[in-house]
Amino acid sequence: MLSEDYSTIYNLVFKRNSVFVGSVFATAFAFQGFFDYGVTSWYEAHNKGKLWKDVKLKLGDAGEDEDDDE
Amino acid sequence: MLSNLAFKQISKRGLGLKSIAPRFLSSTSTALKSTYDSPDFSNYLNSNKGSSDKSRDFTYFMVGSFGVLGAASAKSTVESFLSTMSASADILAMAKVEVKLSAIPEGKNVIVKWQGKPVFIRHRTSGEIEEANEVDISTLRDPQNDADRVKNPEWLIMLGICTHLGCVPIGEAGDFGGWFCPCHGSHYDISGRIRRGPAPLNLEIPEYEFSDPDTLVVG
Repeated sequence: MLSEDYSTIYNLVFKRNSVFVGSVFATAFAFQGFFDYGVTSWYEAHNKGKLWKDVKLKLGDAGEDEDDDE
Repeated sequence: MLSNLAFKQISKRGLGLKSIAPRFLSSTSTALKSTYDSPDFSNYLNSNKGSSDKSRDFTYFMVGSFGVLGAASAKSTVESFLSTMSASADILAMAKVEVKLSAIPEGKNVIVKWQGKPVFIRHRTSGEIEEANEVDISTLRDPQNDADRVKNPEWLIMLGICTHLGCVPIGEAGDFGGWFCPCHGSHYDISGRIRRGPAPLNLEIPEYEFSDPDTLVVG
Protein backbone atom coordinates (compact mmCIF):
# COMPACT_ATOMS: atom_id res chain seq x y z
CA MET A 1 0.00 0.00 0.00
CA LEU A 2 1.35 3.35 -0.99
CA SER A 3 1.45 6.28 1.36
CA GLU A 4 -0.91 8.17 -0.95
CA ASP A 5 -3.54 5.47 -0.35
CA TYR A 6 -3.49 6.21 3.36
CA SER A 7 -3.95 9.88 2.61
CA THR A 8 -6.84 9.05 0.26
CA ILE A 9 -8.55 6.96 2.94
CA TYR A 10 -7.98 9.69 5.46
CA ASN A 11 -9.40 12.37 3.21
CA LEU A 12 -12.38 10.25 2.12
CA VAL A 13 -13.53 8.80 5.43
CA PHE A 14 -11.88 10.24 8.51
CA LYS A 15 -11.45 13.89 7.69
CA ARG A 16 -15.07 15.00 8.23
CA ASN A 17 -16.66 13.79 11.42
CA SER A 18 -20.09 13.55 9.78
CA VAL A 19 -18.73 11.15 7.15
CA PHE A 20 -16.85 9.21 9.82
CA VAL A 21 -19.90 8.76 12.08
CA GLY A 22 -22.12 8.03 9.09
CA SER A 23 -19.82 5.30 7.86
CA VAL A 24 -19.64 3.87 11.40
CA PHE A 25 -23.46 3.55 11.47
CA ALA A 26 -23.61 2.17 7.93
CA THR A 27 -20.97 -0.41 8.79
CA ALA A 28 -22.83 -1.29 11.98
CA PHE A 29 -25.98 -1.94 9.93
CA ALA A 30 -24.14 -4.22 7.50
CA PHE A 31 -22.21 -5.87 10.34
CA GLN A 32 -25.42 -6.80 12.17
CA GLY A 33 -26.79 -8.60 9.13
CA PHE A 34 -23.62 -10.62 8.62
CA PHE A 35 -23.27 -11.30 12.34
CA ASP A 36 -26.85 -12.57 12.60
CA TYR A 37 -26.42 -14.72 9.53
CA GLY A 38 -23.15 -16.14 10.83
CA VAL A 39 -24.47 -16.93 14.30
CA THR A 40 -27.66 -18.48 12.89
CA SER A 41 -25.82 -20.70 10.43
CA TRP A 42 -23.34 -21.76 13.13
CA TYR A 43 -26.21 -22.57 15.51
CA GLU A 44 -28.08 -24.57 12.90
CA ALA A 45 -24.95 -26.48 11.90
CA HIS A 46 -24.16 -27.19 15.57
CA ASN A 47 -27.69 -28.49 16.29
CA LYS A 48 -28.26 -30.29 13.01
CA GLY A 49 -30.86 -33.03 13.31
CA LYS A 50 -32.45 -31.62 16.45
CA LEU A 51 -34.15 -28.58 14.95
CA TRP A 52 -37.84 -28.43 14.12
CA LYS A 53 -37.18 -28.08 10.40
CA ASP A 54 -35.25 -31.37 10.42
CA VAL A 55 -37.82 -33.15 12.59
CA LYS A 56 -40.61 -31.88 10.37
CA LEU A 57 -39.08 -33.56 7.33
CA LYS A 58 -38.85 -36.87 9.20
CA LEU A 59 -42.49 -36.70 10.27
CA GLY A 60 -43.65 -35.94 6.75
CA ASP A 61 -47.25 -34.82 6.42
CA ALA A 62 -48.18 -35.96 9.93
CA GLY A 63 -46.58 -32.91 11.50
CA GLU A 64 -48.58 -30.45 9.42
CA ASP A 65 -52.14 -30.84 10.65
CA GLU A 66 -51.22 -31.27 14.31
CA ASP A 67 -52.20 -27.74 15.28
CA ASP A 68 -55.60 -27.86 13.62
CA ASP A 69 -57.91 -27.29 16.55
CA GLU A 70 -61.09 -26.35 14.71
CA MET B 1 26.40 44.17 15.50
CA LEU B 2 27.49 42.38 18.58
CA SER B 3 24.02 42.02 19.90
CA ASN B 4 22.84 40.65 16.57
CA LEU B 5 25.52 37.99 16.60
CA ALA B 6 24.62 37.01 20.12
CA PHE B 7 20.96 36.65 19.15
CA LYS B 8 21.88 34.40 16.21
CA GLN B 9 23.96 32.18 18.43
CA ILE B 10 21.26 31.92 21.02
CA SER B 11 18.53 31.08 18.53
CA LYS B 12 20.74 28.42 16.95
CA ARG B 13 21.28 26.81 20.30
CA GLY B 14 17.79 27.05 21.66
CA LEU B 15 16.20 24.38 19.49
CA GLY B 16 13.27 23.51 21.72
CA LEU B 17 12.63 27.01 22.93
CA LYS B 18 10.89 29.23 20.48
CA SER B 19 12.00 32.80 20.76
CA ILE B 20 9.60 35.31 19.38
CA ALA B 21 11.33 38.47 20.54
CA PRO B 22 15.13 38.83 20.75
CA ARG B 23 16.39 37.90 24.16
CA PHE B 24 18.12 41.18 24.70
CA LEU B 25 14.80 42.95 24.40
CA SER B 26 13.39 40.86 27.18
CA SER B 27 12.35 42.78 30.25
CA THR B 28 13.41 40.01 32.58
CA SER B 29 16.96 40.30 33.70
CA THR B 30 17.39 36.55 34.05
CA ALA B 31 16.47 35.79 30.44
CA LEU B 32 20.00 35.70 29.15
CA LYS B 33 21.25 33.76 32.10
CA SER B 34 19.58 30.52 31.01
CA THR B 35 22.15 27.84 30.43
CA TYR B 36 19.72 25.20 29.33
CA ASP B 37 20.70 23.65 26.02
CA SER B 38 18.00 21.71 24.23
CA PRO B 39 19.24 18.52 22.63
CA ASP B 40 18.84 18.10 18.90
CA PHE B 41 16.17 15.44 18.38
CA SER B 42 16.02 15.73 14.61
CA ASN B 43 17.83 12.42 14.06
CA TYR B 44 15.21 10.60 16.08
CA LEU B 45 12.06 12.22 14.75
CA ASN B 46 9.91 10.38 12.20
CA SER B 47 11.11 11.94 8.98
CA ASN B 48 8.03 11.07 6.88
CA LYS B 49 5.53 12.31 9.42
CA GLY B 50 2.96 14.42 7.63
CA SER B 51 3.56 12.88 4.25
CA SER B 52 2.08 9.50 5.39
CA ASP B 53 -1.29 9.07 7.15
CA LYS B 54 -0.74 5.42 8.02
CA SER B 55 -0.69 5.65 11.78
CA ARG B 56 -3.45 8.24 11.80
CA ASP B 57 -5.59 5.96 9.61
CA PHE B 58 -4.96 3.06 11.97
CA THR B 59 -6.00 5.09 14.99
CA TYR B 60 -9.22 6.26 13.37
CA PHE B 61 -9.89 2.75 12.10
CA MET B 62 -9.68 1.34 15.62
CA VAL B 63 -11.92 4.10 16.98
CA GLY B 64 -14.42 3.46 14.17
CA SER B 65 -14.36 -0.32 14.68
CA PHE B 66 -15.20 0.01 18.35
CA GLY B 67 -17.88 2.49 17.33
CA VAL B 68 -19.36 -0.13 14.99
CA LEU B 69 -19.37 -2.79 17.72
CA GLY B 70 -20.83 -0.35 20.22
CA ALA B 71 -23.58 0.81 17.87
CA ALA B 72 -24.51 -2.77 16.93
CA SER B 73 -24.68 -3.97 20.53
CA ALA B 74 -26.57 -0.87 21.68
CA LYS B 75 -29.11 -1.41 18.91
CA SER B 76 -29.68 -5.07 19.80
CA THR B 77 -29.96 -4.21 23.50
CA VAL B 78 -32.65 -1.62 22.83
CA GLU B 79 -34.33 -3.97 20.37
CA SER B 80 -34.53 -6.81 22.90
CA PHE B 81 -36.20 -4.50 25.42
CA LEU B 82 -38.66 -3.20 22.84
CA SER B 83 -39.52 -6.68 21.59
CA THR B 84 -40.82 -7.62 25.05
CA MET B 85 -43.58 -5.04 24.51
CA SER B 86 -44.90 -6.56 21.28
CA ALA B 87 -47.63 -9.19 21.28
CA SER B 88 -46.35 -12.75 21.49
CA ALA B 89 -47.26 -15.41 18.93
CA ASP B 90 -49.92 -17.08 21.11
CA ILE B 91 -51.69 -13.76 21.65
CA LEU B 92 -51.62 -13.01 17.92
CA ALA B 93 -52.98 -16.48 17.18
CA MET B 94 -55.91 -15.82 19.52
CA ALA B 95 -56.66 -12.42 17.98
CA LYS B 96 -58.36 -13.81 14.88
CA VAL B 97 -60.91 -16.50 14.27
CA GLU B 98 -61.61 -18.20 10.97
CA VAL B 99 -65.03 -19.55 10.03
CA LYS B 100 -65.93 -21.81 7.10
CA LEU B 101 -69.11 -20.27 5.71
CA SER B 102 -70.13 -23.26 3.59
CA ALA B 103 -71.12 -25.07 6.79
CA ILE B 104 -73.80 -22.46 7.60
CA PRO B 105 -77.08 -22.99 5.71
CA GLU B 106 -79.31 -20.08 4.72
CA GLY B 107 -81.49 -18.75 7.52
CA LYS B 108 -79.30 -20.11 10.32
CA ASN B 109 -77.33 -18.50 13.11
CA VAL B 110 -73.88 -19.52 14.25
CA ILE B 111 -72.15 -18.21 17.35
CA VAL B 112 -68.36 -18.27 17.46
CA LYS B 113 -66.08 -17.14 20.25
CA TRP B 114 -63.68 -14.37 19.36
CA GLN B 115 -61.37 -12.83 21.99
CA GLY B 116 -63.65 -14.16 24.70
CA LYS B 117 -66.73 -12.54 23.19
CA PRO B 118 -69.55 -14.18 21.23
CA VAL B 119 -69.86 -13.26 17.57
CA PHE B 120 -73.16 -13.82 15.80
CA ILE B 121 -72.99 -14.93 12.17
CA ARG B 122 -76.29 -15.09 10.33
CA HIS B 123 -76.71 -16.38 6.82
CA ARG B 124 -79.69 -14.22 5.81
CA THR B 125 -82.28 -15.19 3.28
CA SER B 126 -83.21 -12.76 0.50
CA GLY B 127 -86.50 -12.12 2.30
CA GLU B 128 -84.66 -11.08 5.43
CA ILE B 129 -82.35 -8.78 3.48
CA GLU B 130 -85.40 -7.09 1.93
CA GLU B 131 -87.01 -6.79 5.33
CA ALA B 132 -83.88 -5.13 6.73
CA ASN B 133 -83.79 -2.66 3.84
CA GLU B 134 -87.47 -1.77 4.03
CA VAL B 135 -87.17 -0.19 7.48
CA ASP B 136 -87.49 3.60 7.55
CA ILE B 137 -84.30 4.51 9.38
CA SER B 138 -85.64 7.87 10.59
CA THR B 139 -87.85 5.95 13.03
CA LEU B 140 -84.89 4.13 14.56
CA ARG B 141 -83.20 4.94 17.87
CA ASP B 142 -79.73 4.46 16.35
CA PRO B 143 -80.30 5.26 12.66
CA GLN B 144 -78.13 3.10 10.45
CA ASN B 145 -78.67 1.65 6.98
CA ASP B 146 -78.48 -2.09 6.61
CA ALA B 147 -75.89 -1.57 3.87
CA ASP B 148 -73.61 0.21 6.37
CA ARG B 149 -73.75 -2.77 8.71
CA VAL B 150 -72.77 -5.54 6.29
CA LYS B 151 -70.07 -6.12 3.71
CA ASN B 152 -72.05 -8.82 1.99
CA PRO B 153 -75.81 -8.55 2.64
CA GLU B 154 -76.08 -12.34 2.82
CA TRP B 155 -73.85 -12.43 5.87
CA LEU B 156 -74.55 -10.44 9.02
CA ILE B 157 -71.65 -10.50 11.47
CA MET B 158 -72.10 -8.81 14.86
CA LEU B 159 -70.73 -8.87 18.37
CA GLY B 160 -73.27 -10.79 20.42
CA ILE B 161 -73.27 -8.42 23.35
CA CYS B 162 -76.37 -6.40 24.21
CA THR B 163 -75.50 -2.71 24.17
CA HIS B 164 -77.58 -2.20 27.29
CA LEU B 165 -75.75 -4.13 30.02
CA GLY B 166 -73.79 -6.74 28.12
CA CYS B 167 -75.98 -9.84 28.16
CA VAL B 168 -75.93 -12.21 25.21
CA PRO B 169 -79.16 -11.86 23.16
CA ILE B 170 -81.07 -14.90 21.95
CA GLY B 171 -81.25 -15.46 18.21
CA GLU B 172 -84.42 -15.84 16.11
CA ALA B 173 -86.50 -14.29 18.87
CA GLY B 174 -88.18 -11.01 19.71
CA ASP B 175 -90.89 -8.97 18.00
CA PHE B 176 -88.74 -7.99 15.00
CA GLY B 177 -87.52 -11.38 13.85
CA GLY B 178 -83.96 -10.79 14.98
CA TRP B 179 -82.50 -11.03 18.45
CA PHE B 180 -83.99 -10.65 21.87
CA CYS B 181 -82.11 -9.89 25.06
CA PRO B 182 -83.64 -11.82 27.96
CA CYS B 183 -82.10 -9.65 30.66
CA HIS B 184 -84.10 -6.45 30.16
CA GLY B 185 -86.10 -7.14 27.00
CA SER B 186 -84.29 -5.38 24.18
CA HIS B 187 -85.52 -6.33 20.71
CA TYR B 188 -83.13 -6.26 17.75
CA ASP B 189 -84.21 -6.60 14.14
CA ILE B 190 -82.72 -8.80 11.42
CA SER B 191 -79.94 -6.25 10.89
CA GLY B 192 -79.07 -6.18 14.61
CA ARG B 193 -80.53 -2.70 15.11
CA ILE B 194 -82.21 -1.80 18.38
CA ARG B 195 -85.98 -1.51 17.93
CA ARG B 196 -87.52 -1.74 21.36
CA GLY B 197 -86.29 -1.97 24.94
CA PRO B 198 -83.63 -0.20 27.02
CA ALA B 199 -80.56 -0.74 24.80
CA PRO B 200 -79.26 2.58 23.37
CA LEU B 201 -77.28 1.33 20.35
CA ASN B 202 -77.34 -1.25 17.60
CA LEU B 203 -75.34 -4.44 18.06
CA GLU B 204 -71.69 -3.71 17.36
CA ILE B 205 -70.01 -4.83 14.15
CA PRO B 206 -66.48 -6.24 14.62
CA GLU B 207 -63.62 -5.98 12.13
CA TYR B 208 -63.95 -8.81 9.65
CA GLU B 209 -63.16 -9.76 6.09
CA PHE B 210 -63.90 -12.53 3.64
CA SER B 211 -60.43 -13.91 2.88
CA ASP B 212 -62.04 -15.97 0.11
CA PRO B 213 -65.76 -16.35 -0.78
CA ASP B 214 -66.02 -19.32 1.57
CA THR B 215 -63.96 -18.14 4.53
CA LEU B 216 -64.69 -15.44 7.08
CA VAL B 217 -61.92 -14.01 9.24
CA VAL B 218 -63.06 -12.05 12.28
CA GLY B 219 -60.49 -9.75 13.83
